[in-house]
Amino acid sequence: MIKEIKPTVFVVDDDAAVRDSLRMLLKSVGLPVEVFESGQEFLDADRDDRPGCLVLDIRMPGMSGLELQVKLNERHSILPIIFITGHGDVPMAVEAMQAGAVDFIQKPFRDQDLLDRINQALEKDAGSRRMLAERNMIRKRLESLTPREKEVLDLVVAGKANKVIAGDLNLSQRTVEIHRARVMEKMEAHSLAHLVRMVLEVERAEE
Amino acid sequence: MLDSAVDAIIVIDHRGHIEQFNLAAERIFGYRAAEVVGRNVNVLMPAPYHAEHDGYLDRYQSTGEARIIGIGREVRACRKDGTEFPCDLAVGKVQGAVPPRFIGFIRDITQRKLADERLRRSESELRLAQGLANLGNYVVHLDRSEPDYYSAQLCRILGIGATNDNVPLTALLQRWVHPGDREKLDEAFADLNSDKAECDVEYRVVLDDGSTRHLHHVAQVAHDANGNLLKHVGTIHDVTDRRQTEDEARQLQDRLTHFSRLSTMGEMAAGLAHEINQPLSAIATYAQACQRFVRSPTRDDADVLEALEQINAQALRAGEVIRRLRNFVKNREVKREPVECNRLLDDLRTLAETDARLHNVRLRIDAEPGLPTVSADPIQLQQVILNLVRNAIDAMAECPESRREVLLSTRRLPEGEIEFVVADHGSGLAPEAAEHLFNPFFTTKSGGTGLGLAISRSIVRAHGGRLWHTPNAGTGARFHFTLPAASASKGE
Repeated sequence: MIKEIKPTVFVVDDDAAVRDSLRMLLKSVGLPVEVFESGQEFLDADRDDRPGCLVLDIRMPGMSGLELQVKLNERHSILPIIFITGHGDVPMAVEAMQAGAVDFIQKPFRDQDLLDRINQALEKDAGSRRMLAERNMIRKRLESLTPREKEVLDLVVAGKANKVIAGDLNLSQRTVEIHRARVMEKMEAHSLAHLVRMVLEVERAEE
Repeated sequence: MLDSAVDAIIVIDHRGHIEQFNLAAERIFGYRAAEVVGRNVNVLMPAPYHAEHDGYLDRYQSTGEARIIGIGREVRACRKDGTEFPCDLAVGKVQGAVPPRFIGFIRDITQRKLADERLRRSESELRLAQGLANLGNYVVHLDRSEPDYYSAQLCRILGIGATNDNVPLTALLQRWVHPGDREKLDEAFADLNSDKAECDVEYRVVLDDGSTRHLHHVAQVAHDANGNLLKHVGTIHDVTDRRQTEDEARQLQDRLTHFSRLSTMGEMAAGLAHEINQPLSAIATYAQACQRFVRSPTRDDADVLEALEQINAQALRAGEVIRRLRNFVKNREVKREPVECNRLLDDLRTLAETDARLHNVRLRIDAEPGLPTVSADPIQLQQVILNLVRNAIDAMAECPESRREVLLSTRRLPEGEIEFVVADHGSGLAPEAAEHLFNPFFTTKSGGTGLGLAISRSIVRAHGGRLWHTPNAGTGARFHFTLPAASASKGE
């Protein structure tokens, strides 16, 4: 869990009034907010790895909201995006959802609708960040394994018994048991099932 | 003494026999005196006088009733060669002669008759021409030395009699003039009576029969040698039919122009909805923020005030968009006024940018500063520019977004014209499309009316400018139009 940085709502809208009104609304509910007048300005500010969510106007001159979404995906940003659309923008909104946006909301909107969506997005972001942090932790633990321990781990996760592993690696069964205990300890695994889940989690993310 | 006279002088006796025949008579009739002296004077007369003359003489001598003596008349005479000619004949009785003698003075009036005939014919041709042109003329004698003259066609145009002398023509016209043109007519008559001494004015009159006529009235003042006002000489041309045709054509053009504006607006409707939705959306959000600020236990009035100010500003912004829109689509009279070109661009920026934004097109405006004004109808000019911008946006529908830019620029040309250019980076114009571009109903768009460019060109031409296109450097098309600078055409 990352606790030191408070989640921030980032607003990108080319319309000064819409942008400013959103800033005030979020301020009125005590949410930290930063506003940007273009997609490029947001990219240049390097905020996309910060916790929070992005409230993004789908229609902007220059870089459109959809283009910014593509660029953020390229940068592996996990920032959840809530698109603000005008009426008649449904096809664009569909495209945005297919590219991973969490939600969209049509202008003008009820403040509570937007705030609900923002809260959902922030929860999603917190969840994603927890998961990412966990994955990073698992990777660090995996990196702490010796090559031999790594070999033993792969075979354990593949469901092989100690005796089979000893045969495969041309080791004594006792040696395999020691490596295996070291792996459980280094990976901080409570059980075999826990160990398998951690390894699969990382493998799935790397596919 | 007789021989020195210009007129033919012939003396006859009481039987009608010629006694004297002077040189002028010889010249006029072609007889030598010796040939006719002693012969009956009726040899000089064509039928029926030839046969009747003896009877006239007898009757006079028996009754004393003078039919010609002392009276004179125009008669026809016969030359030696048999040809006839018109002449003025005056006859007198020689005093104290017994038996009586008569003396005739004969003047050949062939030339005068010819001139009369020519005059008559030219008058009749003038009357015919005035009728055909529906143009009348008049002379008003200010010194009252002669009655005023109104030509027949003038009387027909105005429905007055030729002897309408009790009311002066100018007073009649001032009575009949259409209220909307009264000032114009008064001014023209003031010109006529000033040192300018002439007027050239077009105005409407409502005649006694209730009909409205458009008159083109040109008049001048004539002075005598001492510089005193002598008379007004003028023509009045009934141009009603022409004006009505022009009015109808203009109304049709206006309706078409309006229709085309509406159709441009229709194409821009989605963008406009967006443009109005923006401030509405901001207003809603500010208002909601405001409610939360007010309810907050730690509320800061500065936040509330700021939100309220913004609500006000955004409501005005939405109103402004609607005002511009209304101005643009309103069916209205065309009027010319001094227009600052760059101010015009500012005014239409909202409408044009709205449309551009909707299609992910950047609109760049490059205005040369300090341009002179043009005399124009600002709404019609906006219509032309918006139409060109719309076409440019449509032309780039298939372009990658990075290339989607419309450049709208103004500059001053050396010839005292202002040039507007709308450039796009679309696929340019196919030669066959370029050829028909300005034809009405030619369109390359599925939903187009094909009127936009045709109407734009007619608007620009009506403003004394030109509209054409060139390929854009690289890709796309450039549409240019020019307008004459107002200062250049002001030299009146």
